[in-house]
Amino acid sequence: MKLIYRIVLRLSAVLIPLMALWGMLFFLMTVDEIHDEADDALDDYAELIIIRMLAGRELPSLNSGSNNSYSITPVDREYADSRSHIEYYDAEVYIPEKGETEPARILSTIFQDNDDNYYELKVAMPTFEKDDLVRTILFWIVLLYLLLLLTLIGVTTWIFHRSMQPLYALLRWLDHFTPGRRNDPVPDDTNITEFHRLNVAAQEAADRSEELFESQKQFIGNASHELQTPLAILGNRIEWLLDNTDPNEKQVEELFKMQRSLNHIVRLNKTLLLLAKIENGQFPESSEVDIAALIREQAPLYNEIYESRHIDCRIDLPEQFVVTMNDSLASTLVTNLLKNAYVHTEPNHGIDISLCDRTLVVANDGDTPLDGTHIFERFYQGNKKEGSTGLGLALVKAVCRYYNLGLAYDYIEGKHRFSVTWPYKKEEK
Amino acid sequence: MKILIVEDDPSLREIMQRALVQERYVVETATNYAEADAKLAAYTYDCILLDIMLPDGSGLQLLEHLKQQRKRDNVIIISARDSLDDKILGLDMGADDYLPKPFHTAELLARIKSVLRRGKSGGEMDLRLGNVSLVPESSRVLVDGRELPLLKKEFDILLYFMQRPNHLVDKTVLAEAVWGDHADQADNFHFVYAQMKNLRRKLTEAGADIEIKSIYGFGYKLIPPTE
Repeated sequence: MKLIYRIVLRLSAVLIPLMALWGMLFFLMTVDEIHDEADDALDDYAELIIIRMLAGRELPSLNSGSNNSYSITPVDREYADSRSHIEYYDAEVYIPEKGETEPARILSTIFQDNDDNYYELKVAMPTFEKDDLVRTILFWIVLLYLLLLLTLIGVTTWIFHRSMQPLYALLRWLDHFTPGRRNDPVPDDTNITEFHRLNVAAQEAADRSEELFESQKQFIGNASHELQTPLAILGNRIEWLLDNTDPNEKQVEELFKMQRSLNHIVRLNKTLLLLAKIENGQFPESSEVDIAALIREQAPLYNEIYESRHIDCRIDLPEQFVVTMNDSLASTLVTNLLKNAYVHTEPNHGIDISLCDRTLVVANDGDTPLDGTHIFERFYQGNKKEGSTGLGLALVKAVCRYYNLGLAYDYIEGKHRFSVTWPYKKEEK
Repeated sequence: MKILIVEDDPSLREIMQRALVQERYVVETATNYAEADAKLAAYTYDCILLDIMLPDGSGLQLLEHLKQQRKRDNVIIISARDSLDDKILGLDMGADDYLPKPFHTAELLARIKSVLRRGKSGGEMDLRLGNVSLVPESSRVLVDGRELPLLKKEFDILLYFMQRPNHLVDKTVLAEAVWGDHADQADNFHFVYAQMKNLRRKLTEAGADIEIKSIYGFGYKLIPPTE
């Protein structure tokens, strides 16, 4: 989840209920105030009428331009005593001007004139105006609430993006950083202290990993040099013994065995160097390689070498399957998969090689499933084979990782299946 | 034929020198950049075996120097780094061949012969032993001037032995040389025997006076005719 989404979500989670609560409180206070005002207005109106009545002056006409109305009814003393002095209530009132009944707020009070006559005064004020007001206020509060929320989130997002530019620049730079290739320095055009420190730290880490990478490369180069020369000396001394000392059968046998062990070390050394080179990404040059053709070329070689095992190799390949790879890595991939299958297949069993949907599957008969989690590790061998480096599948894995190919092992219906999948690329059709 | 060995490791230098002297070459050695540079300035050699990593400089620098002086000595680079970049760079700078360490003595001798022959005949080169001659470029074999048709693997085996007369070769080494790295875990060598049997039969039928002998059952040796 992107940081900005997380911030917006959290901000919303807090602001939505909080602002709703504020809005509600504000609304309730306003409505309360409106009711109060309305009752006050009724009070004033009633007082005006009573004063005029008691003073014997002309009462206001029933229709004075407002929708207010009143009625005065003489009542007897008992009635007056039984009622409270002043009372507010809501009721339906008939309004003659409109010719219909409307909900209204009514004030009912009882007063007494100088002649001890009791009158009941009812003053009514239709509530539709008040309701209108309340509705309008509610509408605006909701609208303002939404507007405020959206503005807040929008502004936050914008400010966040603006302020986080240096972080995004750093992330983009990190995405493109590969040790051993030419890398630009960390972009640092910020005056924000925290980001500047982050950039400095990233640059230091990058420099350190570049240095490590360099020294590792140098170490491998030097180690290979140091190892290859004594290996060459040893091999040549054995050859000299063979050619110049007229050894007897036993001696020749021993010398040959020494030579084979030596060749094994040489192979191991070369393979480790190759692995290191692949993992260091030192195979930049690539070309169009036809994997199908490569298999057609390699499989007969293995058939010839392992002829005595009578392995039945079934090949199902398309006309061609062209990928962009380094050609020596492509051949490393294919030969190691094939070799693994041939070396580990029991005599009179079969191997299936197929290629479809950009997936190369090499399957061979086997009795027990292998440990899929360790099978691609260096020097992991189910059962030790003499002369095997134990690096074949590690090489396959290294090549797959180098080109982001999918590599999988599974055991289905008595077959070990190794599959390599080339992902679809836009430029490749 | 005069050869200069530029190699800093004393043991390897000694072995190379011994092998070349045995082949009746005149051999001189240099242990570092300065010594090699001085010798190259003073003398001319038919072939220079050049180690790239020297204690006081790079063999490639020496190659550059040689090029500037317009010397036409043959150069074989011997490098511990089997890297394509070095190879391309070296060959671009005028080296004639590139031999990665560790190498077999026989391989070294074969490369030297090939480089010298190329230098002399201007590209056309064939290997001759007794009445058999072999042209690697066009994959042809002639016995007494008559063409001997061989299959690909038979030809590769013959080429390998023609480059290493009198040299005892282990069958596993042969298998790896001809069939490539694939063969290192073969559990038997029937495929080598089968090809070898056919090759020997074809050579005998054609009347070749060289013989590939089986030695104690684990190796082979090509015996040229005695003069």
